[in-house]
Amino acid sequence: MDLYLPIAEMPMNLFLLLGMGAAVGFLSGMFGVGGGFLLTPLLIFSGISPAVAVASVSSQIVANSASGVLAYLRKKTVDLKLGLYLTLSGIIGSAIGVWVYGALRGIGQLDVVIALCYVAFLGTIGMLMAVEAIRAILAKRRGTPLPVRRPGQHSWIAGLPLRVRFHRSRLYISALPVIALGASIGFLGALLGIGGGFIMVPALIYLLRVPTTIVIGTTLLQTLGTMAFTTFMQSATNQTVDVILGLALMVGGVVGAQFGARVGQSLRGETLRLLLGLLVLSVGLRFAVDLVARPAELYSISRMGGG
Amino acid sequence: MIVRALLAAATLAFASPHLHAETLVTALSTERVSIESNFTGSGVVIFGTVERDRQTVARADPYEIVVTLTGPLRSMVARRKERVAGIWINRASGELPRVPSFLAIATTAPMADVAGNRVRAGQGLGFDMLPTRGLPDALPPVRTEFDAAFLRLMQKEGLFTLNEGRVEFLSPQLFRAPIDLPANVPIGWYTATVYLFSGGVLLAKTTQDFSILKGGFEQTITDLAHRRPAVYGLATVIVACFTGWLAGVAFRRD
Repeated sequence: MDLYLPIAEMPMNLFLLLGMGAAVGFLSGMFGVGGGFLLTPLLIFSGISPAVAVASVSSQIVANSASGVLAYLRKKTVDLKLGLYLTLSGIIGSAIGVWVYGALRGIGQLDVVIALCYVAFLGTIGMLMAVEAIRAILAKRRGTPLPVRRPGQHSWIAGLPLRVRFHRSRLYISALPVIALGASIGFLGALLGIGGGFIMVPALIYLLRVPTTIVIGTTLLQTLGTMAFTTFMQSATNQTVDVILGLALMVGGVVGAQFGARVGQSLRGETLRLLLGLLVLSVGLRFAVDLVARPAELYSISRMGGG
Repeated sequence: MIVRALLAAATLAFASPHLHAETLVTALSTERVSIESNFTGSGVVIFGTVERDRQTVARADPYEIVVTLTGPLRSMVARRKERVAGIWINRASGELPRVPSFLAIATTAPMADVAGNRVRAGQGLGFDMLPTRGLPDALPPVRTEFDAAFLRLMQKEGLFTLNEGRVEFLSPQLFRAPIDLPANVPIGWYTATVYLFSGGVLLAKTTQDFSILKGGFEQTITDLAHRRPAVYGLATVIVACFTGWLAGVAFRRD
């Protein structure tokens, strides 16, 4: 059954959209990430223009993170203060991202910048996660426990000026890295159509040393706030959010996420991180191959002034 | 519509040096294609007759019909990728000011047999004669690599089509030309042009307008997105939060 998408101005199979939403939702529920980094490339590959794909996926991420935040709020594993700091800085980053997006589209370099960012971020993060997970698994096999974090042990980043106390996370750290992190994720989210959870989660764990139990709920809160703002901004400035497309993805996504979360809970933490790392890495590699390999079609056409 | 077409055809007939040349009367199967939520492509049929009177000269050559359906004009940019520091990025580009976003051509016979290059160049008829810099000229247009890429890619996307032999004569005078509108057909105002040729000479030409517009619900959404973008954005965010909340409640297990 085909559904005509009014803003994308093309029909797409409804079940394909629901299926893509559900598959990505399943993975995102399993790993606790938004899944935008998978969904946006999938939509672009299906023929939807990058502009509409990036903007519409942001509305799907809102729905997904809203349902996630509610679940974590009930379990009381969200650091509201940290989430607020990250969201406010994320909104600033997002505003810059939406602007840069429009500027790059105008000069025809949007695609290559998106591809380069995907390679850089997905490649690095995927590699780090996979290596860390493999080391954890090996250490467990050998029976040697990994060094655990002791309270009060901070990296130099946390020791910068403007210290703030985050009670829920039991942290007393500088606000500067928190704001920088939130703003970068907001910027990348708007530019690349991703929630940024797969960057935020390891950054909170390894850089800011936020307790693992708090990380996912807080990340989801930041994603919700930043992506709600991004959806609004993309609608207001670029008018590229397709609400019908977004709705189809949302419905598939939230259902898939519920089943993914159940599978995720039955898997071991290291296994989960290894799988997510490999998934992220493979998407990054896919973009790298496309950048380096000689394209089958050297020419491309677009409307003047973007679109 | 038909009256207007008749008038146009009559004017053309009187303006031409052959006082008693043929006139064309054409009609469209529909004047408005509406795109609803289940739209996956459509079609339009152009009907016409070649009107003759007693004084019309007998032709040695058969009548040939060319029908073009031209979509809204848009300014386009074609870009070429080049390898820079190991990666492929867009470098050189060429602009194509005001080119059709859709162009379907249907004919009774191969284009080269219908009319020569000079006649087609003057009318801008055929992909090879389509003007990419303003109006058609007496000489065939000079093509840059970007013009060529544009024409090739538009055909690849199914937006530029050429169907030689698709127009059929139902009787010696009556013809019909079916034209397919693909799912990705651009929205806007279209012009259907019918050319009558015989022996490589253009005898008559008619044009008719028709529109491809979004249906009620689709148009409402588009209007809202463009005229009240802030309201649209806010509504989308609320819908998204509500969907997420609903799913959270529906699947709650504790």
